[in-house]
Amino acid sequence: MDSKKKNTISRRAFLTGAVSAAVTGGALVTTGCKGKNLLESSEAFALEFQEYFKKHYRLMNEMEREKTVSRLERLSKQKQGITVDIDTTGPLENVLYGYAFNVTRCEGYMECVAACVRENNLDRRSNMQYIRIFEMEHGQMSPDQGDGKYFHMVPREGHFYMGVQCFHCDNPPCVKACPTKATWREPDGIVVVDYDWCIGCRYCMAACPYYGRRFNWNQPEIPKEEITKKQHYLGNRKRVRGMMEKCTFCIQRSRKGKLTACVEACPTGARVFGNLLDPDSEIRFVLENKKVYRLKEDLGTDPKFWYFID
Amino acid sequence: MSKPEINKCLYPIFLSCIILGLFIFSFLSTAFSNQEGVTKQYKKAVQKMDRAGQVNAETQVPKNIVRVLDEDQGGHFFTEARKSEIKRFRCSSCHNDKMVSIQGAADLSHADIKVVHGGKEKPLSCNTCHSTEDRDFLTTGKDTRIDPDHVYQMCGQCHFRQKKDWIGGAHGKRIIFWSGERVVMNCTSCHNPHSPRFAERWPKTYSVPLK
Repeated sequence: MDSKKKNTISRRAFLTGAVSAAVTGGALVTTGCKGKNLLESSEAFALEFQEYFKKHYRLMNEMEREKTVSRLERLSKQKQGITVDIDTTGPLENVLYGYAFNVTRCEGYMECVAACVRENNLDRRSNMQYIRIFEMEHGQMSPDQGDGKYFHMVPREGHFYMGVQCFHCDNPPCVKACPTKATWREPDGIVVVDYDWCIGCRYCMAACPYYGRRFNWNQPEIPKEEITKKQHYLGNRKRVRGMMEKCTFCIQRSRKGKLTACVEACPTGARVFGNLLDPDSEIRFVLENKKVYRLKEDLGTDPKFWYFID
Repeated sequence: MSKPEINKCLYPIFLSCIILGLFIFSFLSTAFSNQEGVTKQYKKAVQKMDRAGQVNAETQVPKNIVRVLDEDQGGHFFTEARKSEIKRFRCSSCHNDKMVSIQGAADLSHADIKVVHGGKEKPLSCNTCHSTEDRDFLTTGKDTRIDPDHVYQMCGQCHFRQKKDWIGGAHGKRIIFWSGERVVMNCTSCHNPHSPRFAERWPKTYSVPLK
């Protein structure tokens, strides 16, 4: 009897002890390892949760845009510890951006490519680049005959260089292909992507005849100290895996009156950027005084990117 | 009896109405569509942008510039000043009637300058551009003085086509802003006047193969 009682007590004691130990242990584990993180990230979690329910960029009003921008800025501060400045500057009145590329002047130094990667916070892991420079022999006209992966001393004798990027078509086939209307042509001619509305179906990539669009195969990885902090909602803000992105004529710069990063970096002055609607602009001088041509003009995409010859 | 006759009469009228309607519809759709092409769009535009006006607070005129003596399509414009960039300007502080000590002559002489300009048949020498009388100035063939800040006048004598393009905006490049006051780089901002051709070098980065 005694031994039986002892046995039952001991079993009960053992069970309760085991349960309480499990509870306290579990609690210890959660508080010790995760608790701090959970407390810290609860705000980030709430912000991310709210981000899921925001509208398409074009349907948002000023207040909603401000809210999402402050959320994104706070998230960046929380997650990466970087203070970014995301703006939503709209298109300027009476402005239509145009671009001209001097195939005679370009020497293939690829300074523009490096500047673009840096300015637009492009993924360093997959080595994403918006601009591609083709080395072409004299007499070739189309970049599909050129060498897009050269790496030797430049300029090479008997060759010329041709840069290709998004041409910001006035009749963009990518916009027509998008099933979610996540990409559109802004009134100043820039074709932009709402990164949070894109579902990553890559229809636009297939529709683009110029290979102007890029897909994020992985979460973009950028060294913390190299992140450009002046950002635009439609431009170089943080992107995620599985959506499209493309050249935006450096929307965060051009809408502030600045030249795009590629133009500013070009050591030979082969790139001209400006307002097509201003008769005094440099781009208009090029179009009116030089021999210009556009790539695949017969497709009717009406790109705002001209090549010219000295 | 009369019904089929009316039908026969109405049939061609009805058909012609449809054709006319289609014709009008196609005409209207082309007339009112936005797809007029970017070329037509910019050719119609005549409203000039105010160069003095700023797009926003970030648009500022860069410092250390001079007003170009020529005018472009939109009036006056600016270029980078040159004199402040030359380390030992004024030249006349050494090139004068006074005696120069021999100490530091190796540093002060211009032996490091190699002139690769003008082709093999007719290479340029120092005094093709630099004035022998007034050391602080450049000189043209007609014995006029050119301020080093306005070096484009010097270069433009032979490279007149490039100068025309530079004034218009097809040669050279603008500094920082596409809007506001037009400030462009000077010839010597990119080209070394003593050997103006760009050097052969490695590209800054590389591209990943597509396939």
